[in-house]
Amino acid sequence: MNSVTLAYSFDWSVVGPALPTLLDGLWLTLKISTIVIVASAVLGFPLAVARMSKIEVIRWPAQLYIEVFRCTPLLVQLLWVFYALPALLGVDLPGELSIIIALTAHLTAFMSETYRAGMQSVPVEQIEAAQMLRMNRVQILRHIIVPQAFRQQIPTILSLNVSMFKDTSLVSALGLADLTFQGNILSSQTYRPMEIFTLVALLYFAIAFPATLFTSYIERRLLTSGSRGAPPPASGLRGTLARIRPGQRPPSLANPSLKSLLKPEGV
Amino acid sequence: MTETNPILDKAPDTDSDAGPDGAFLRTRGVSKSFHGRPVLKEADFRIGSGEIAVLIGKSGSGKSTLLRVIAGLEEPDAGDIDLAGETVVHDGEYQDAWKDLRGQIGMIFQSYTLWPHMNVLDNLTIAPRLTLGESKGELLERAEQALTEVGMARHLRSRCTQLSGGERQRVAIARALMMRPRLLLCDEITSALDPPVAAEVLGVLTKLKEEEGIACGIVTHDMAFASKAADRICFFEDGLIKEDVPPEQAFNDPQTPGLRAFIDAVRF
Repeated sequence: MNSVTLAYSFDWSVVGPALPTLLDGLWLTLKISTIVIVASAVLGFPLAVARMSKIEVIRWPAQLYIEVFRCTPLLVQLLWVFYALPALLGVDLPGELSIIIALTAHLTAFMSETYRAGMQSVPVEQIEAAQMLRMNRVQILRHIIVPQAFRQQIPTILSLNVSMFKDTSLVSALGLADLTFQGNILSSQTYRPMEIFTLVALLYFAIAFPATLFTSYIERRLLTSGSRGAPPPASGLRGTLARIRPGQRPPSLANPSLKSLLKPEGV
Repeated sequence: MTETNPILDKAPDTDSDAGPDGAFLRTRGVSKSFHGRPVLKEADFRIGSGEIAVLIGKSGSGKSTLLRVIAGLEEPDAGDIDLAGETVVHDGEYQDAWKDLRGQIGMIFQSYTLWPHMNVLDNLTIAPRLTLGESKGELLERAEQALTEVGMARHLRSRCTQLSGGERQRVAIARALMMRPRLLLCDEITSALDPPVAAEVLGVLTKLKEEEGIACGIVTHDMAFASKAADRICFFEDGLIKEDVPPEQAFNDPQTPGLRAFIDAVRF
């Protein structure tokens, strides 16, 4: 068998000294991501409610906001908030704050649409049943719609958050010392971009991959509970791990007695 | 001594619930249009306490619309509605009495409207806890009684997603009973059920009528049930109530060509 010879010769000795700096960058990335995710999760809800309002003066601005942030590139939004907004308002915004504002504004638009989709997925008959039991609008929203909408959209919300975590790498273009920015600096200093950016990618992967696994796990749990109206396939980490290998079925499904579980309820 | 009803927490008292003519519910000239298309035309309808009125007719004939108007889910364009002797809607406008009396109406829908993120107990108790302010202990006791009434006592802690279609509908009836209704409106609640399961569900309604004196308005296409359980059959056609007669007459001696054709079509 012929061996493959790489044109590039790796030197992994740069990794050890680079790691503390990269971890500093990762810490900043995680800090920004957490703030943005939490803020968007909160702000997305009133925006979703405004987007569904029957009152046009409330609904239209909400819709305009969502469409603007959905239909323009995130990097443009970052640049605009970073450079144009302070000039427009005549205030001096710290760079980190500008970036957090831009990322939050972006993610809030997507979160609100996710919430809206979840809320609108609750069958109208369930809401009418609550009305017939004399529950008021706030009670219906609090006890009937939001819990179901949230459950329905957990996988989408988690996916959005993972995407946001990765998208924070764009802030390196604005000089913020996140993980990507630190990797860029180190690669210039060591002339070893391949090793450094491989390590940077691994650090992103180390955070994002467990999050996506967790997303799949939650999705399966929701399917198993039947609260999303689908037949219950195998759940648990074992099934999730099996699912990430193309063409593979969860091992537990090999048991014929469990195949009946895949039949729709009542069949 | 009059026995106290464990679910309704009061003795069935059909006389005091009824209006001057003995009807618990009466509509006069109730009309409803959707986008300019009249769906319900000047409906005069009544249900007495302890009576089952079955509404039949083709799809789109106005049966469900009448139930939804009575339930307050659709606003009538015109007409009056009397409930327990009080006028709650006058000339299409809701009156003050509506706020006090609307709680006497319960409604069960065609699709299973149990809230899937709650178990059976929570489905039964959340509305009375929030709206009637009853304690958890009291509600637990009432929920057990309501589920016993519909033959579902062993499912108190079950998840709704684990129940079959018939079981869900029986829980939906129990949930409606938790609000102590005097009038139960059922909109095609057995249409998605197998005949034996549908018979079970409808058996529960018959029992409620006989034992609790609850007035029932039922939209159904199940003619076997209609013939057995109904005290009156109301035949709807093109938004009009064409016949309002006892079931024997409806099935054996229909007076209008529409009902005759309908009965012939469903008879086998």
